[in-house]
Amino acid sequence: MTSLEELRKINARCIHCRACQYAYSNEPDREGADEEYTGMMLSCPGGNFYGWEGYFNSGRMWMARAFLEGDLKPSQEMLEIIEACTTCGLCAEQCTNYIDTVDVIEELRAAIIESGVEPLKRHKMIGDRVLEEDKRNPYNDPRSDRTAWHDGSVDDKDMKVAYYVGCTGAYRQQGVAKHTASILKKLGVDFTVLTDEVCCGSPILRTGQKDILKKVMNENLEMFKDFDLLVFSCAGCYRTFKVDYPKQSGKPLPFKVAHTLDIAYDLITEGKLKIEKPYNKKVTWHDPCHTIRHIGLSIEKEILEKSDNWLLDSRKAAKAKEAWYERPREVIRAIPGMDFREMYRIKGNSFCCGAGGGVKTQFPDMANDTARERVKEAASTGAEVLLTSCPFCITNFNDAVKALKKEEEETGKDLSAVGSKIEVVELLELMDQLLD
Amino acid sequence: MAEYNKVTDEVVKKLVAICGEKYVTDSEPLRYSYMARGIMGLEAVLPEVVIRPANTEEVRKILMIANDSLSPVTPAAGGLSGGFALPAIEPGGILMDMTRMDKMEVDTENRVMIVEPGVRCGDAWRIFKKRWPDWAPPIPDGAPPGATILGDAIERGFSLVTGRYGPQADMIMGLEIVLPSGEIFRTGSWALDGAKAFYRWGVGPNPDGLFLGSQGSMGIITKAAVKIVPHPHFKTIVAYGGDSWEHIIEPAWEIGKYEMGISDNTVMVQGGNWPLVMTRWPKSNVPLDYKFYEKIGIDEYWMNSEVWAHSQEELDFTLKRIDEIYKDYEVKKKTICKQQQLHPKQIASRLKKPNLIAVPYGLYEAGFLFVTVYTPWLESSRCAEMYCQKMEEHGFPPVMWVASIDHARQAIVMPILCFDSTEKGVLDRIRKWNIETTELVLDNGWLNYRPDPFVHAPMTFSKSKDYYRMLVKFRKVLDPNLILHPGRLAIPWASVTDSPSPLEDE
Repeated sequence: MTSLEELRKINARCIHCRACQYAYSNEPDREGADEEYTGMMLSCPGGNFYGWEGYFNSGRMWMARAFLEGDLKPSQEMLEIIEACTTCGLCAEQCTNYIDTVDVIEELRAAIIESGVEPLKRHKMIGDRVLEEDKRNPYNDPRSDRTAWHDGSVDDKDMKVAYYVGCTGAYRQQGVAKHTASILKKLGVDFTVLTDEVCCGSPILRTGQKDILKKVMNENLEMFKDFDLLVFSCAGCYRTFKVDYPKQSGKPLPFKVAHTLDIAYDLITEGKLKIEKPYNKKVTWHDPCHTIRHIGLSIEKEILEKSDNWLLDSRKAAKAKEAWYERPREVIRAIPGMDFREMYRIKGNSFCCGAGGGVKTQFPDMANDTARERVKEAASTGAEVLLTSCPFCITNFNDAVKALKKEEEETGKDLSAVGSKIEVVELLELMDQLLD
Repeated sequence: MAEYNKVTDEVVKKLVAICGEKYVTDSEPLRYSYMARGIMGLEAVLPEVVIRPANTEEVRKILMIANDSLSPVTPAAGGLSGGFALPAIEPGGILMDMTRMDKMEVDTENRVMIVEPGVRCGDAWRIFKKRWPDWAPPIPDGAPPGATILGDAIERGFSLVTGRYGPQADMIMGLEIVLPSGEIFRTGSWALDGAKAFYRWGVGPNPDGLFLGSQGSMGIITKAAVKIVPHPHFKTIVAYGGDSWEHIIEPAWEIGKYEMGISDNTVMVQGGNWPLVMTRWPKSNVPLDYKFYEKIGIDEYWMNSEVWAHSQEELDFTLKRIDEIYKDYEVKKKTICKQQQLHPKQIASRLKKPNLIAVPYGLYEAGFLFVTVYTPWLESSRCAEMYCQKMEEHGFPPVMWVASIDHARQAIVMPILCFDSTEKGVLDRIRKWNIETTELVLDNGWLNYRPDPFVHAPMTFSKSKDYYRMLVKFRKVLDPNLILHPGRLAIPWASVTDSPSPLEDE
């Protein structure tokens, strides 16, 4: 189990250089199309939106230090500021002192709540719903409907593979769940889903409610322990199982985990899967923080943790991280006919969609503002389609595009240059359509 | 100690009336976020309120309110490459976060740039890349992207071309200054209504030196006009090793003497010792013995020369002459100064600006302090040796960086004190080391460039009492109520502490 106290020395590495406020903070000469997208860019969703130092990671690290020193007392006001962060990890990617900024922020949230401060209203609400026996999801939907979307195998404990659907797939984006099931079938993966599945705890952990996280984590680990492999369609669930469960439980996972796109990636690179149907559109790709940057950073960290010479091994670790960032691109490049255009901020330097870390629930204005900035960047590539693979990114981008359309209607202005005409597409959905 | 009042609700209301509610906060957690102590200083007092003005007029109004209410004021934008120069004045006062003032104008015809305090290096570099690729933005060498141009310039920090042109303060053509009385004035030719900032010395005696290096203790600088220089596209780095400080310092001096020649192309000259490489990684995860570094080609001591030229021919000629000077030196001193064979990636990395080169020293033991000393160039080897010896004596690794200023006329000698900031009592250990080394620095006639207000400043002023007295007089003329942050010079001493003054024996 981790705690803020355990991260004290990691946090103390912060010298307040503020490089973490920028994307490409160590690439001043990175070439871009224009002045806006060139070199380093201020790219902290919270800091960009609020402007105060305390909303940038650089300020948050020093608030954490003051809290650890006992100088700054926990309060609702402090929690409000610390929660206004998508925990996208762009700051961690920039930090040459390898500070696990997302861990520090999440543990600081947890420490504030553990000290007796109530979770923020909407965060508490989702925590409560996850605990309610007849729900076990943050959406307030009946537990009995969890697998209603599915007409295949359910609760078959003899299967080797289980599809962990997650609450968003089960209740809000059933289309993604259905497409994932269909893809798995087309790829020859026999799987089952479990009706007893409970929320993975991602939004709970991100918002500092660790007691609830512990409960759902233990339930899920027990429930799925006899499977060989768990597959995912949700970026948040995948990250939580892969990165957080081992960290929070202190034990390795009893099963393997893979995002559905990982399975496709393996088959494509092994030459066992070829996509024949073309997709003749101009497309750009948004890297979801949970499946791309967070996993990449954890790969880098794992290598360094085993190393007694970081001077030599840091390059190897960075290379392994970069290889992870490349994986979705390999899948996209395997789709014929597509005119693929990268945005300026990509991979480890990708700008967040704005929904993560409990922000969409509690700070909708910040979430929308951030999504609009990213949609604008997507539109600047000339793409017709903004492709990604995360239910929260999809929802937040769609909300931003809707807001732009509304603004167009109200003002009569053409906002296509900033993304009003862009189509937001889930890569899993597209894959299903293209696979025979 | 000077008397100040706490920032009352009434004062906060007045501040809100100036900047709007959105840009004033007394939130305790947000105030703590400005409380970063690091690199350049370890002492700070929490501000009582933080305000983000948008323009000079708002700064003027804020200062007048602060002056009336006797609230201390600290301006800050990018901070000090790490940490902020927070008020070391009880009860804390008003912190002015200048980041909203981020306008810049570039005049390539008159080769000058006007910047507000919030223009950050990363942004200026990006904009220059696209709009003025043939001009170098006046950013510091070795500062991270969040550092500001104005902050560096008024601090007399480095530029990209300090090896040739001297500190950034030497490039200043004019300042716009706001005083606590609400008076605003400009220096240099800028003082004349409608005139450009084209002549630093202006219409009469130029007072700008009072404001450079004062960290805002004399007045708040809301605009600076800084010279810009061409950014030629033929650039490289050459590095030569040596077996002692002397053997890397002396050949650089031989090169520096070629002013109006190859020394003008050599825009940055900087070097160090092997622990400079080691301490960029965690102490527990990196070899601590020189043998490893020797094996991977790192000299015990080395000096880099960064060369800029307008053509390949000019670049090649400069490199050839540098090499010849090193070879002559080897013969003269019967020593070896081997040229390092730098990989193109190493060259690209060393040419990168702005960069994060100074940051990873926080990784070694989770804490570090830069101490900066100016010496005549040829004396820098002795100064570096002294500091390294004292660091070892006090249980710190001997990490040292040196750089040339103005054709190797002066040196900045910068011991990097790596320490475990979570260790109990470490600040006392640092203070002891600091006092001991500062005594030696002053005995040798060297100067602390960015003095620590609690060690370097009082020790320095106790040896320059007449000068200190004059500074206090100037300060009291410009800021009679002493509401401005006293700066790292701690002028006057009484505004900072009740401890004995440097003039106590008088």
